Parts: sequence; structure tokens; C-alpha cells
Amino acid sequence: MTKQYFKRLSDAMITGDEEEAEACVNDAIGAGVDPIMLINKGIQPGMDELGEKFETGEVFLVELILAGDAAKIALNVILPHLSDEDSRSAIKGTVVTATMFGDNHDIGKNLVSAMLSTYGFNVVDAGISAPVREIIEKAESVGADIIAASTLITTSFPYQRQIIRFLNDSGLREKYFVIVGGGPVTPAWTEEIGADGYGRDANDAVTLCQHLMEGDSLPGSLSEPVIIGALGKQLIGR
Amino acid sequence: MKSKPDILDILQRTETGEYCTTKEWDTKRIPGTVRKMLEKYKLSKTYASETPCNFDYELADRFYKAGFELALELGYFCEDTQRIVKVDEEELLDALKYAKSEVFVGEGIDGTLIKSRTPADPYPMAAACSLGITYSEDIYPILTEGIARERAVDLLEAGSLTTIFGHEVLSGTPWETLMGHEHGVMHREIRRKAGRPGMGAIGSISAVTEFGQFGAYGTPGGFLPSDLALILFPSELKIDYRTLHKVIHTQNCNGILKCDSPGMIGGMSGPPEGTTLSAIACALLSYPILQTTVGGGEIYDVRYLSNVNREGLWALSVTSQALSRNTHICAHLIANQVSGPVTANLLYETVTGVGVIAASGSAMTTGPRTAGGKLNDYMTPLECRFVGEVSHAASGIEPEQMNEICKAILPKYEDSIKTPDIGKPFQEAYDIDLMEPIPEWEDIYLRVKEETDELGISC
Repeated sequence: MTKQYFKRLSDAMITGDEEEAEACVNDAIGAGVDPIMLINKGIQPGMDELGEKFETGEVFLVELILAGDAAKIALNVILPHLSDEDSRSAIKGTVVTATMFGDNHDIGKNLVSAMLSTYGFNVVDAGISAPVREIIEKAESVGADIIAASTLITTSFPYQRQIIRFLNDSGLREKYFVIVGGGPVTPAWTEEIGADGYGRDANDAVTLCQHLMEGDSLPGSLSEPVIIGALGKQLIGR
Repeated sequence: MKSKPDILDILQRTETGEYCTTKEWDTKRIPGTVRKMLEKYKLSKTYASETPCNFDYELADRFYKAGFELALELGYFCEDTQRIVKVDEEELLDALKYAKSEVFVGEGIDGTLIKSRTPADPYPMAAACSLGITYSEDIYPILTEGIARERAVDLLEAGSLTTIFGHEVLSGTPWETLMGHEHGVMHREIRRKAGRPGMGAIGSISAVTEFGQFGAYGTPGGFLPSDLALILFPSELKIDYRTLHKVIHTQNCNGILKCDSPGMIGGMSGPPEGTTLSAIACALLSYPILQTTVGGGEIYDVRYLSNVNREGLWALSVTSQALSRNTHICAHLIANQVSGPVTANLLYETVTGVGVIAASGSAMTTGPRTAGGKLNDYMTPLECRFVGEVSHAASGIEPEQMNEICKAILPKYEDSIKTPDIGKPFQEAYDIDLMEPIPEWEDIYLRVKEETDELGISC
């Protein structure tokens, strides 16, 4: 019977069905299923399957977004039933994603948001053309761990530097890892502005966030940024 | 008698059109309607990896019909007002009927006549170079003049500036307005210095928001109304006030509009077939809604940040054939290379990408996007010359022959699309004093050109 709940929840992730995800979690918890197992054997396998299918072109961004939303609904029901320790292990971290001011391109940010949700991060989307102050206010209000700043536009990526400056000047730098990505963004730029990490694509962003959250370093304290992505490997040190 | 809507109608529709949230548009309206059209017209799973350049015209025509219906059913989403801007069938047909089939860009003997084409049309596809890769402020005039001096290059777009007078430029600030004007003035002066004062241009790639465009286009010394005004969409099937500011500014200057919308394979419209439909719809809608002269539905694959993979090439070929066989618009498409200067792969990616677009009937292309457009100064005049040469030489080639050429070339680079060789920046790839490629780069170019010639594209 328990396995049926796991399968049902996993399927709800794959189909991005928020109502079914919420109903399944309520049914399972009512039936006495261990809530942490719902995450590990219900949500996560469904998300893993979606991630693999995205890479092979069997599913697309829309499915990832909907699955991320379904996972968020399910977790909202599950989390109050977990111990503090289990809660911390269930949510990999909270990430505020944003596209820099002046840039209305949303697909890169949406893809990163969806992939991070797929891999268990709580993602709060600060939107497109987001002013620096609003991004940081959002991070403060949700208690974020990471600010993920994306841009495709050459005259918007300097705003990534402004995030670091604002955090430094307001004494908040140690609270948030700042990671950057997008078309014109390079590892050299990441290092120049003092960001904590760079990912070339959405998968890299996930690896980067996992790496930062699992490490011991404080935001802003790394001797050099963490660079993930093939292009980055070639360029680091140039 | 009803005619195509004017800009006043469109502005009103951004305020009175159907309300829709961004999430509903992204996750329901686009994917749901695209899926519906794919099923209705039996277009699902029509992509075949062995046909990177489609040559089934019946399929292209079916895509056109479905794309036309998709355009009518969806419209554009206005991000600023959260309203859907729609046109009816009569308005769309009227806009396409009265769309210009040719447009002269530039002035006098240096200008270029861009003409509507059909697949295998021998009239040469116009090549604008390069895409908006960032150049350092000190390199910008040197590199841009080098590109302008390449006679195979028809129109000059060139790179973006990120600093002006040594100061970092931030979108939406007065620095952007200032940079836009300086860019426009510098661009004109470079064309004059290159001996092509009337060479047509695309302006302004440095203008991210409307402020840059206000500074660059139609201002004294800047881009002329005989140049193309560049209007880029924020996302597929989405417009915003910035887009409309630029449209109105271009109209105020009596200029010529060129609109490009990015469709993403793997994005909201899903598989290559869905993105092809979305690209066709985007291009069609740019005529009644944005009043454009040159319209493009660009294609990218989110997994590779490129379109020179098999799926991307196929989508480019079908989109180009659908638009060129069923309308007389001046269609524009872009090839997105990923490799850098001093690599053969950059040139191979150009042969397939630009070749497919030219053979499939587009009127114009812009490129290259050397090293994926990511890296400052990773661009040389030599690959711009090659874009122009392929653009002209592949015009007249049958799509079926182009398909064979793609199949011969793709195995040379497709395994490295995700991890491309970024090559060398301009400063290392060229002898700047002589304005010549280093011997290694020249040798690669001559070798690939010879290979290309043997395959049937005589550059």
C-alpha cells in the first residue's frame, strides 16, 4: 500500500499535477506513511526521471516548471510533519532566482529555477528585469541561502556586480552565496566581481548550488569562485 | 474595408486584450495550443535526424498552415500589461499581402537589395555581420572596420559595446542613451573609413532597452532611416513596452524595422516541431502587430545554446521553407555557431547553419555567433567573410542537396557542440597591424573552403 503512495506521488511529479500531489501526500500522511519517505521515494524519483528525460529531449521546460510547482505544494504539506533535522535534509536550500534589471529574457532563469526545484531546492523567483534592491529584499524576506543572478544582455550583467557591492555595503555579504550565469557571463567575470560561483547551464547551476550548500565555506569567503561547466574549465585562469 | 491594424490599434489592444498571467501563458497557452496544432495537422514526430535539412515541401506547407492558425489563436503576450494582443484572420492576411517583398537597405552603390526568396532561389541571401558579440571599446573600431572591409559582407551589424569612454554601461541608465549615440556615430564613421559609406547597417545591437535605440537610431550622425532598426523580443511570442517603444521610434524616424523573436527547442513550445510552429507564428505576427519589414522567428536549442545541431538545423529549414514558400515576406533567420576563431568547427557550423537557411529560401541572415556569442572579442573578420560567402554560394542549392552536405559535415562537429573549442580572441587570431588572419587561421579557412567546394557550395 505504501509503495502505491510513492508511485502515485512520483507520477504526480511527472505529470506536474499539483492537486494530485497535494491529495496524495494528505492521503499518505493520513495512512501513517513516514513523511520523509514521501520525499525520498515519491517526489525525488519522479524528479530524477524528469531530469533525465529533459536531457534526452523527451520532456521540456514546461514539464519541469509544472513538476517544480507540484513538488512545492507537496512539500508544503510534508514539512510540518518532519523533525527539524529531517526538514533541513529535505530542503537542499532556498534560492532566489532573478534576471537582472534591463533584461526581460526569462527562459534561462526559468530553466534554472525548474531544474533547482527538480533537485530539491526551494526556489523563489524574483522575476525578470529585477532591480538589485528588490532581489536582495526578496532574499531577506524568504531567508534565502543563495542568490542566482542571470542575464543574457551585455549591459545588464554589470548589475550582477551591483548585487555584490550592495551586499558588501549593507553588511549582508556573509548571508548569501551569489552565483551568476547567462549568455555574456564568464568565469573571468565571476571572479572579477567577487561572486561565489558560475554555472554554464541549468544542470551546472544545480551542481553548483549543491556544492555550495554541502560545503563549509561562508558566502563571500571563497578564495576563488566555484566554476562549473565545460566552457568555464577552459577559461578559468585566463 | 478592413485593413491591417495600425500601431494605435495595437497599443489599445495591449490595454484591452484578454488578461492572462505569465504563468498561464508559459505553461498552458503556448504548450497547449502548440500541442493542439501539432496533432490537428499531424506534425508530431515529423523531425528525423537523418534529414537535418528538410526537403519535403508538403511538410513545410503543412507547418505553415498550422503556424498561421497558431498565430491567430495565440497572438502575442504583452508582459507589461499581462494582456494578449491578437489579430483576426483578415488582419493577418492583409498585413502579409501588403508586406514588402523587397527592401533596399543602405544608400547608393554600397546599399543592398534584400529580396523575398524561395527555396533553391539563386538570388543571393543577404548576409549581415556579425551578431552582437561584445567587443572591447578599443578593439571595436578596428574589428568592425575589418568586418566592413570584407566585400562578401552585405550589411554591417557588428558587436556590442559594454563600456563607453571607459565607463561601464548599465541598461536603462543615461549611460545607455549616451552609449547608443556613440555607437551609432562610430558605426557610420567606420563604414565611411572602410570605403563603404552607404553600406546598410542594423542598429543598434548595443541598445538593450529603448534608451539605447533612442540614442542610436535616427539621431544626427547615428544610424540612418535607410538602415534596419533592430527590435528583439524578450521571449518567444512575448512583447513588452520596450519592443513597442522601439517600433514607434522607428516609425517616427521613417525607418525600416527588423524584428526577431527567439523560439527555444526544449522551451515553452517543446520539441523541434513545436518550436518550428512557434517560430512561424512569431514571424507572421510581427507583420500586423509590429508593422515590420523584415521578420524572423529564430530558433535555439536550450540544451546546446545553439541551433547547428540536427534538431536546430531541421527546424531552421522547415521554418524558412514554410515562410518562403507561402508568403512574399523578407524572412530572416540566424545560425548560432558555438566554436571560436581559428577552429575548423566554426566554419563547418557556418556551412550547415547558413547553408540550410540560404537553401531554404530566407531573404537574409545575420551572423556569425562566434564562440556562442559568450566571449568578449572572440570574433574575426575572416569568419564574417565566410558567412557572406556561404550565404551567397548556398543560394540556389536545392534543400535535398543541402541535406546531403549537412550529413557529410555534421559528424565532424556534432559531438563537441556541448563542449566547443573556443579558439582564440581577435587579438591572437589576427595580425592587427596588417589586418590579416594569422597563417594558421588562414590555412584552416582555405582547407574548409576547399572541402565545401567539393561538397557543392562554391564560395
